[in-house]
Amino acid sequence: MTGRWLGRAATDEKAAERRLGLWLCAPAALIMLLVTGWPILYSLLLSLQRYDLRFPRDREWIGLANYGAVLTDGFWWNAFWVTVLVTVVSVAIELVLGMLLALAMYRTLVWRGAMRTLVLIPYGIVTVVAAYGWRYAWTPETGWLAGMLPEGSAPLTERAPALAIIILAEVWKTTPFMALLLMAGLAVVPGDLLQAASMDGATAWQRFFLVTLPLMRPAILVALLFRTLDAFRIFDDIYVLTNGAADTSSVSLIAYHNLIGGLNLGIGSTMSVLVFLTVAAVAFAFIRGFGISTPGTQGGRG
Amino acid sequence: MERTPRMVARWAVADLLVVLYALVPVLWIASLSFKDPATFTDGSFVPRRWTLENYSGIFDNPAFVRGLVNSVGIGLISTFIAIVFGTMAAYAVARLDFPGKNVLVGASLLVAMFPQISLVSPLFQIERALGLFDTWPGLILPYITFALPLTIFTLSSFLREIPWELEQAAQLDGATPFQAFRQVIVPLAMPGMVTTAILTFIFCWNDFLFAISLTSSDRARTAPATISFFTGSSQFEDPAGSICAAAVVVTIPIVIFVLFFQRRIVSGLTSGAVKG
Amino acid sequence: MRGTFGRSRPCAAGAAGLVLLAGVAAGCGGGTSGPPTINLYNAPQENIGRIVARCNRLAGGRYRIALNTLPRDADGQREQIVRRLAAEDSGLDVLGLDVTWTAELAEAEWILPWTGSYERRARQGTLPRTLETATWNGRLYGAPYNSNVQLLWYRSDLVPEPPATWDGLVRAAERLAAQRRPHLAEVTGAPYEGIVVWFNSLVASAGGSILNPRGDAVALGAPALRALGVMRAFARSRAADPSLSSMREDDARLAMESGRAAFEVNWPYVYASMAAKRPKLLPHFRWAPYPGVTGPGRAPLGGANFGISRYTEHPGEAFEAALCLRDPQSQLVAAVNDGLPPTIRSVYDHPSMAKAYPMRQAILDALETAALRPKTPTYQNVSTVASNVLSPPAAIDPPRTEERLRELISDALQSRGVLP
Repeated sequence: MTGRWLGRAATDEKAAERRLGLWLCAPAALIMLLVTGWPILYSLLLSLQRYDLRFPRDREWIGLANYGAVLTDGFWWNAFWVTVLVTVVSVAIELVLGMLLALAMYRTLVWRGAMRTLVLIPYGIVTVVAAYGWRYAWTPETGWLAGMLPEGSAPLTERAPALAIIILAEVWKTTPFMALLLMAGLAVVPGDLLQAASMDGATAWQRFFLVTLPLMRPAILVALLFRTLDAFRIFDDIYVLTNGAADTSSVSLIAYHNLIGGLNLGIGSTMSVLVFLTVAAVAFAFIRGFGISTPGTQGGRG
Repeated sequence: MERTPRMVARWAVADLLVVLYALVPVLWIASLSFKDPATFTDGSFVPRRWTLENYSGIFDNPAFVRGLVNSVGIGLISTFIAIVFGTMAAYAVARLDFPGKNVLVGASLLVAMFPQISLVSPLFQIERALGLFDTWPGLILPYITFALPLTIFTLSSFLREIPWELEQAAQLDGATPFQAFRQVIVPLAMPGMVTTAILTFIFCWNDFLFAISLTSSDRARTAPATISFFTGSSQFEDPAGSICAAAVVVTIPIVIFVLFFQRRIVSGLTSGAVKG
Repeated sequence: MRGTFGRSRPCAAGAAGLVLLAGVAAGCGGGTSGPPTINLYNAPQENIGRIVARCNRLAGGRYRIALNTLPRDADGQREQIVRRLAAEDSGLDVLGLDVTWTAELAEAEWILPWTGSYERRARQGTLPRTLETATWNGRLYGAPYNSNVQLLWYRSDLVPEPPATWDGLVRAAERLAAQRRPHLAEVTGAPYEGIVVWFNSLVASAGGSILNPRGDAVALGAPALRALGVMRAFARSRAADPSLSSMREDDARLAMESGRAAFEVNWPYVYASMAAKRPKLLPHFRWAPYPGVTGPGRAPLGGANFGISRYTEHPGEAFEAALCLRDPQSQLVAAVNDGLPPTIRSVYDHPSMAKAYPMRQAILDALETAALRPKTPTYQNVSTVASNVLSPPAAIDPPRTEERLRELISDALQSRGVLP
């Protein structure tokens, strides 16, 4: 008797929990669905068609032919590997630099408020303008950085220097994003754990690597995941600095040229879908490989 | 940690390096904004001839001022709503069990990952059909949408770290679930909330793609977009001085916003609920 | 941040709903009675407000022109216009269109042809070359508003006699370099429309063209090989700026104004800029016709035309408005104040043109033989692939480059293949 009563109460509780969960998620889910549902579906459908906006009469379904055309094209793969290079290098630098910045922002004994604010300024500046700033800085004669290089060199016109400048601009701009997420992660590491460790004789390095970092793992992985997803879609910096000259195009830039410049909705959408699939694969790798548990796979009522 | 003069000095040096990293390129942009146009190409970091005409010029431009107003309004509203909806969803994802949880997480990642340039044209058509084109909601809705994934992920990962026992203890003490949430969870989740609020606001404030494509007049056009409408004195001239001046001006509200909120990032710890 | 639980939820939803309603209400402000509004979409231009105000006065209540600005860069303008035309947006009426967009927009049937008395009035007194830029398949699709040609600008204190050919230009620069004096010749060599413009004029000056007259197949051939040779030689000579492959019009202007260049090939706006920024250099800042290859040079032709959107709800008023916006008086204001050379012959003789355009005769002469860019609906594609192949100019190998251009442009004409 009591057992059944307890059982029913438990079921009611479960049902209430489900209802509550659904209600809480509803606004977010609804907005995301309404705003991006049709556009994403439309893009997918377009990638299966031959559709140039200027020749609407030639529109037709061609299955995966667009994918074949893009995946066998030299321009695409060039852009792809450039994007991979820029992503890997810049995210790696940003992780280390971001951690250093996070430590500085969090632990500094002086000017704490000012530090935390100033560090965010690069991230807060309009990207296009920051990119223009870098462009002028590296233009011979006009810029102060160009003046430090040997006479006659124009770094933005050659592939390797241009890529280095792009990575520099990207790292400068988005490291604060990492730093902020990492600092929030630092903030939840309990101070007394570190105290206990230091009383046990651990050095600062050991405290950092054996206590702080493991406790920060969720924050690090979220920061890495989102930063990588964003880095792969780099656009503004390259658009302003070189517009893809000297083979420095990224996948987003080449998709833009085809979709908006060439008005080739079929090819452009195909590129978008391919970018999405790559990014999704990266996210999947993070989630499975690094063991970042998706929110919701643990926790709850203990 | 003891505050010996040596430690203070060490931190001061470290801070200085950080500040240099963050500010030198910004100072370069500021310097370009103060440079007299005739000396624009002289390659020096500090302007040889100073002028304020770039700044007076942009404030004489009603479109730019209106753009600032739009940016502030749209940014604040989008951030507020995104944090509200995002926290609700993050709590559900972190704490509760319900069907479709993984679908929601996957879908929000999908939204975060799909290249936005492909979404602009269909979104434009939808907004025109609904009459939302060139209006505040026309920008607010996409901004909320693209801010939600990061919000949900960050906040749910924060909320998951907070032990469920804390809420239970508060409820046993007689608090309603809502009170338990507000008094126990919110302070602990504050670092995450403030962080995402800052990042969301910056995203809304600096977005260019949607601001350009989903507006056609200064009714809803935000400040970064108005920058690309500045006139040079001829069709080929980039009004670089005005652009840099506008960039400096556009950055100031961000600085204020962050200054205001950065204190709260660590305030949650001092409430002491985590101990024990 | 307040808790978002329980009873706050409806509040949040309610607040969001109110915002939406307010926005939609603000958006649906239309439906007023009165004269029809003609929406003009034009590139940013400092004095267009004056021109619009005058035309509104002259309209006498029959219509009212509302000025909407497009982004400053041509690609951004095209993006906005095309997006809205493709969506059959009825909010566009008169459009300020770059000369290279005519074929594209006309073929897609997004702009209306000019016929009858409108066509007659648009053609009256207008320079023939500019009318050609607005023509596609024998029909007129725009009323020329302003025009532009590139001239060779040089420092008369360094170079007494301007060179007439590109080879001569290179030789003059080498001479100056040997004397350790400013010797650079600025050209737009960045991988964008600018380098295609340069290449197109070189091919035309060599007696050829990029596409055949119908615009459906590649021509190139021997004149193109000649042109490519000129580009390569120029890029490898002392005349070329080290930043040649990232130079755009404005970079060239800045280099000339800073004094380190002796020549530049650019649009006439640089004269007004030099007058304002470096008045001391102005007396030595002279102009000459565009350098040739085998004979006289054929200058690049730019400019803008007013087109009428196919989806306008007031075509009659839109045509009238466009005609007023580009009539001699309007063009005079644009020319003297905004640096946009006129397309109507009589405007050049107006007294106020003398001070702002001492080079107006050179412009008129250049307009007689200026080289139009290839006319094809897929011009954007052609330009994108061409600029990718041609940049950097120093790496050009004429036979191989010509072949690569032929291959890629053929694909681009069919809108096949991937753009870089």
